[in-house]
Amino acid sequence: MRIASKTIYDRINTSLQGTYSDMFDAQEVVSTSKRINKLSDDPVGLVTVLDLRSSLSNIEQLGKNVSMGSSWLTASESALTQVDDILTDVKALTVQMSSANTGSSERANAATLVGEYLDEMISLANSQSGGRYLFAGTNTDTAPFALNETTGEVDYSGNDTEFSIKIGSGTNIAVGKVGTEIFGENWDDDNIFKSLVDLKASLENNDIEGIQDVMGNLDQHATKISAEISEIGGKSIRMQTKESIIEDLKLTYTDRKSQLEDADVSEAVIELNSKQLAYNAALTSASKVMQLSLVDYLSA
Amino acid sequence: MGGIGLVLNVAKDALLTQQYAIDVTSHNIANVDTDGYSRQTAVIEAKDAAPYGGFIFGRGVELNDIVRNTNNFIEARLQSGQSDLNYASEQVTYMNVLETVFDESSSASLSNQFDEFWTAWNDLANNPSGIPERNILVENGTLLSESFNNLYADIGKMTNEINNSIKTGINDINGILTKIADINMKIVAIETSGNANDLRDQRSQLVNELSQYMEVNTYEYDDGNLVVTTGKGYTLVSRADTYPLTFEGNNIILESSPSARIDITDSIESGKMGGWLDMRDDVIPEITDNIDELAKTLIWNVNSIHSQGVGLESLSSVTGAYAAIDTATAGIGAAASGLDYYDKIVDGGTFNIWVYDSALGTATSSTITVDADASMAQLAADITTITGGNVNASITDGRLNISADSGYTFAFSDDNSNVLAALGINTFFQGSDARGIAVNEGIIGNKNNIAAAKVDSSGEFAEGDNTNALEISDLQYQDRTIRQWTYSEGTAAAEDITNTTLDEYLHMLVSSIGVKSQSMQRTMEYKETIQNELTTARDNISAVSLDEEMTNLIKFQQAYTAASKLISTADEMLDTLLEVR
Repeated sequence: MRIASKTIYDRINTSLQGTYSDMFDAQEVVSTSKRINKLSDDPVGLVTVLDLRSSLSNIEQLGKNVSMGSSWLTASESALTQVDDILTDVKALTVQMSSANTGSSERANAATLVGEYLDEMISLANSQSGGRYLFAGTNTDTAPFALNETTGEVDYSGNDTEFSIKIGSGTNIAVGKVGTEIFGENWDDDNIFKSLVDLKASLENNDIEGIQDVMGNLDQHATKISAEISEIGGKSIRMQTKESIIEDLKLTYTDRKSQLEDADVSEAVIELNSKQLAYNAALTSASKVMQLSLVDYLSA
Repeated sequence: MGGIGLVLNVAKDALLTQQYAIDVTSHNIANVDTDGYSRQTAVIEAKDAAPYGGFIFGRGVELNDIVRNTNNFIEARLQSGQSDLNYASEQVTYMNVLETVFDESSSASLSNQFDEFWTAWNDLANNPSGIPERNILVENGTLLSESFNNLYADIGKMTNEINNSIKTGINDINGILTKIADINMKIVAIETSGNANDLRDQRSQLVNELSQYMEVNTYEYDDGNLVVTTGKGYTLVSRADTYPLTFEGNNIILESSPSARIDITDSIESGKMGGWLDMRDDVIPEITDNIDELAKTLIWNVNSIHSQGVGLESLSSVTGAYAAIDTATAGIGAAASGLDYYDKIVDGGTFNIWVYDSALGTATSSTITVDADASMAQLAADITTITGGNVNASITDGRLNISADSGYTFAFSDDNSNVLAALGINTFFQGSDARGIAVNEGIIGNKNNIAAAKVDSSGEFAEGDNTNALEISDLQYQDRTIRQWTYSEGTAAAEDITNTTLDEYLHMLVSSIGVKSQSMQRTMEYKETIQNELTTARDNISAVSLDEEMTNLIKFQQAYTAASKLISTADEMLDTLLEVR
């Protein structure tokens, strides 16, 4: 077949450019150690990579949410455990004080003690985590409980919506509590503060009957608090589970993302070497072919 | 004639003929690198014989013709292949630009900004009254908006560039048409007596250049005239007449005659022009429309939740982010209102305005029922009347403004009419598409207005409340109905309804660009291979082989030497004769 001189040069050009661009692509894979460097490198894999990236960012955020939630629950648990301790102490005190052997001066002393317990109880009900009040509903910026000096009652200034955080798609979990649900809705026998205020008054008035009335309520309060503690414990476990699920997912997602996105470095290097070899071969053969011409063999 | 005279004559013709052949060879050698040059061959034939002395003697050699070695079939294939290849390569060029516009490896990519935006809402939900969280949210919202704005601007720039290319291309095409018409005339003049080989080469080269811009068909008359038409058959050149193209508005017009102007924009399907037009009229609008849909859906969903919430403090004045064109007569739920989100307004829906009296410390609720057929002016009047005098709604520049008297503030809740979000009252974003999206000025001016909280049924709201922020951050998981546009050549844009999350929609969009780019690259590679094969086939016939020419050169040179030997022989013969006395 007749081959034109131009054809040879065109061929050399095409093959040099082809092998050079292959080598360039292989080099880019090695230098970025990414398999997908442009959208068009693997558009189908790219969607998955983008989805995984979003999921990872989302999972990391959920991890942050969960760890914040955990610290709220831990703080709540410790506050309520102390509440429980106080209730136990107060119970013991009431038992002692309701005895006929106890004198009025001892009761007066005990009244001071109960006053201190009341202050501590209010301060526990105003417990915070990261500067936010745990038992204030969503009104987390304001201390929810305060002793009203005029009425002698403890007022609640929080609201009735539990403070929640997001731990997943459409899943919110309440980590804060509505204070009145724990310490008593109304100023009645179900109210922990009222029991302490009443107890203090009874002790001051040396009113054994009053002391005994409170004693019964204290048991109910303790039961209530234990129930709350165990509920919080349950949530804590749920959070821990969530935390480990998130850790697992993070690993799985990172792994899958890397499989899709990252280049196998040794494979990429071998690929680069083979492209280099091809380019070299093209160069060598080109330089040989280009030298050949009948012109060189004709004597002048 | 016979005898020595014949020998001399034959020798003279042979010398001339070999000399011509060497001329042709040297022309070939000289043009070994000329694009579009077709190798020429000297057609050498024996002269007609003549009877002499009872015998028929050959009378030597003569140059009969100089011909071009071409194959019209392959040339035509090459031309149409040229159009296809250029179509693909222009698309690849612009798809590459699009790919860098949507660079997903950078942290500034749109999908990354989306992730950051949701993260910021989550962080705010974790610390609803936190000032740093609010600042970061505004920052991330602004970055996300700017990513949309930049995409829009970058894609807009591409459209401008393409239009510039089309303009330059048309100038080029018109220049080529004039040249072809010129050469037509020259060829006709020359070919009354011989072959206009080199002019023909130039003309096919011009047609080739023309094919790079758009697909053309050619037809040649016997006298050498070439008619060039567009792929759809509109004449571009015939004899010495050209029918130039003009670029008007966004269209390409062919002037058949001053009175007949044909819009050929849609009929150009190949060549660079076809590539540019497809890019400009189908690929780019599809992406822009889909990006707009995404921005529009994002804005609406965030705003409709945000507008029902409350910030760290109640409002004393708020101005709508969306302006109406007709505030006096058109219903707010009608397109005539000119509102971007008019179609979202629910007729008969209601919303609450809580008015706070700071002196008395009271909260009073008023429920406004929305009539979608009533004008914005009517709505403003209703708000003023129903809230009882301390809150006044008015309209400035098509926007609803609600202001409270001094000592009063207000907040919103429970909007099932969508009117707050549609008018841009108490919204997080403003704008309604990729170009216009931005964080509401009212939020940038006072970050306390970010509505992380909700007003409860007694009109109270708490700084530490995160219920509204939680709702907004849940948007990232929720499937939304988003329109998806598909543009294809020659038909109207088709609309599809997808049900995906905002993130997934974006990822789909980004990947569709990758798919398109990849398939265009493959098409280009395929066309390139075909074109290379065809070029080789053409060159095997038409291009110069130096080896062959060198061989010919020697062949003709030796023939020339031999012919001159003839003359010296004839000379010797004459001398011999003359010596005879």
